Amino acid sequence: MKRLLIVFLTVFLTSVFAYADKHVNLGDRASELKEEGKSEDIHPDLKEIRIMHPNFLMHKRDKTLRQGIRTKRNSLKACVNCHSATDQNDEFMPIDQSGQFCSTCHQKVGTSLDCFSCHRNTPKEDL
Amino acid sequence: MDKCQTSIQKNKNLSRRDFIKTTATTAGVATIATGITLTTYVNAAGENPVTNEKRWGMLIDTNKLTEVDIDDMVNACQEEQGWGNEAHSTGNQKAGWIKKVKVKDKATDRISNLALMCQHCDQPPCVDVCPTNASMKREDGIVLVDRHLCIGCRYCMMACPYDARSFVHEALTDQKEHMPRGKGTVEACTMCVHKVDKGEKPACVEAVDSDAVIFGDLHDPTSKINQTLKRVQSTQIRADLNLNTGVRYSGI
Amino acid sequence: MSIIRYEQTQGKSLGFYTLIAGLGAFILAALGSVYFMEHNGHHVTGMSNRIVWGLPHVFALFLIVAASGALNIASIASVFNKKIYKPLSRLSGLVALALLAGGLMVLVLDLGRPDRLIVAMTEYNFNSIFAWNIILYNGFFVIVGVYLWMMFERRMNKYSRKVGIAAFTWRLILTTGTGSIFGFLVARQAYDAVIMAPMFVIMSFAFGLAFFVLVLMASYKWTQRPLGDAIVNRLSNLLGVFVAAVLYFVAVYHLGNLYLAENAGVESFILMDGGIYTQLFWYGQIVLGGVVPLALLYSPATKGNRSMLGLASVLIILGGIAQLYVIIIGGQAYPMELFPGKEMLEGYGGIAAYTPTLAELMLGLGGIAVALIAIAYLVKFLPFLPESLADDVADPHHKN
Repeated sequence: MKRLLIVFLTVFLTSVFAYADKHVNLGDRASELKEEGKSEDIHPDLKEIRIMHPNFLMHKRDKTLRQGIRTKRNSLKACVNCHSATDQNDEFMPIDQSGQFCSTCHQKVGTSLDCFSCHRNTPKEDL
Repeated sequence: MDKCQTSIQKNKNLSRRDFIKTTATTAGVATIATGITLTTYVNAAGENPVTNEKRWGMLIDTNKLTEVDIDDMVNACQEEQGWGNEAHSTGNQKAGWIKKVKVKDKATDRISNLALMCQHCDQPPCVDVCPTNASMKREDGIVLVDRHLCIGCRYCMMACPYDARSFVHEALTDQKEHMPRGKGTVEACTMCVHKVDKGEKPACVEAVDSDAVIFGDLHDPTSKINQTLKRVQSTQIRADLNLNTGVRYSGI
Repeated sequence: MSIIRYEQTQGKSLGFYTLIAGLGAFILAALGSVYFMEHNGHHVTGMSNRIVWGLPHVFALFLIVAASGALNIASIASVFNKKIYKPLSRLSGLVALALLAGGLMVLVLDLGRPDRLIVAMTEYNFNSIFAWNIILYNGFFVIVGVYLWMMFERRMNKYSRKVGIAAFTWRLILTTGTGSIFGFLVARQAYDAVIMAPMFVIMSFAFGLAFFVLVLMASYKWTQRPLGDAIVNRLSNLLGVFVAAVLYFVAVYHLGNLYLAENAGVESFILMDGGIYTQLFWYGQIVLGGVVPLALLYSPATKGNRSMLGLASVLIILGGIAQLYVIIIGGQAYPMELFPGKEMLEGYGGIAAYTPTLAELMLGLGGIAVALIAIAYLVKFLPFLPESLADDVADPHHKN
């Protein structure tokens, strides 16, 4: 019984991450949009995107690759375009680098990130 | 008498228990079911999956294709898809999505130049042998590698009759945004599927921009490729394997 | 034939610990090689887009093929009711599992993305013979595991025949499947031949038994337990028969290929002008792996001599590795015939070059080390080995 309680509490507490925590480094374009008050247009529910983004990305990748459906919604490219940050020289830093958007959460919860061994980790050059 | 009563009581208890059980399960199922539907991704954005109504193909006329054309095709592909500058791979380890091939007919000494890339077969051996379904054929005929599933076993490379596939032998950076590619997975010509889906033509076709390379929908009777294939002689490379390739050649 | 008593090995001597340490060093080297290849990417190996499967695959497939053959002894005892092999059944099952584990380890660690093994276990393409092989290999572990349990647990002994038949059938299908990995490839001249499937089955008989004989003789010598001539001579004769059968299948395969004009190119490559591949074929596979062992096993001068039997087994193993090298790498090195009747001037063609690197070799040897260390430990952990295999104990026809 005690064991179950401990398990339940752990799961409960770790899920708090999805509800608490402000992002340390949201990314240049995303910060702009947040200041303009437009975040809800893109991510209606922060909890949902934090918990469900692996699922969303996985379904989307199959739709794009296998069925040729190319929409901006849940596109990894779109994530990178908004959430990348530039450094002092105005050059984009890789989004999966330590201290950037993805790593700030992923390092804390201890899950590894495999996307950017293949996917481009900065926005396109002419953006 | 007592037994009768207790059994009646038991029956009552059972039915109460049954009632609680059924309502609880129905309520639980209903909640979970709605939860599942809520998290199901609904594609509202209006794009539809590709169908087999179209079949993309290419016709390469080796009589009209010059060596400069082929070099342009290779360069255009490298530019568009971001391969070719792997720093650590040597010789045959470097990626080669499209190659210039020069053949001489042994009987007549006639030399032909052609560009060889993934033939986008209708019966692709690479798709048959892939253990994880990473190597796949889209409904419209384009053969792709789903690199999310690729484990890098290279069996498809053994099976490909055209040596069309490449394995990434080193870690990569600065990939093209529309063409993710990474260490340890297999890749090949995608027929510029990212452009085709937008209504454009593959980069190699645009680089030649003449009748030497025609791209289009093989199923459409009004398309240039369909009509040309009806008029001129064409063949598939290794036609005896009966793979029904999407890329056809005339002049060899 | 008296009651066989099985006993665990002591496993406390200096020799035992030296063996473990030595094998452990090989395994560490293999793990180091894996890290090196995985971290840098395959550009550090000799493999390329023309030779996609290299030395690790040679070792891996050798171990996998030998694994299914090592189960033969147990099968002959259970399925064909030859009582003299019965005491060897437990060891046979163990060697089979250990070799398969070693082979699979090498195969998986050479994948481009070994971290995606879960994907290989969950996304199946049932058209692919490779996917079928994954199922067959996993099933082999289960079936042989159950088979060993039937043999160990006295109450279950009555079922061991039925499970033995299942195990025998399964390993035949498995080895046929392994041969079909190559036999089903229409693209390459060296592979497009259905005979590769049964040829691999016969190869498994020879390689598996050679391994088994070496493990048996070594374990009895090093634990100073008696091993009678009755068993050793039977195994020696059996090994000779299997080696002869392999030579027969190789002959049929090549003669068949030679008959077809379209495959004349790859045949002359392997048999005559393929450089290293021709040398490995004739000197490695045929002479060292076939003719010399047959001479050692049957010639009156050396017949019955255990050192010669050990030497013959080692040569058969080396010949087997050479055979797989010629099949796997030679088969890839020879170019495909893209344009029949035409000469390829530029762009493709030519014999692809392959130089194995040290990392690949260490990975392959690590697989063998894993198999041997598993055997060495498990015979200490569980009673696999009979206390005595002297003639008066093991031979059912022994006259007291």
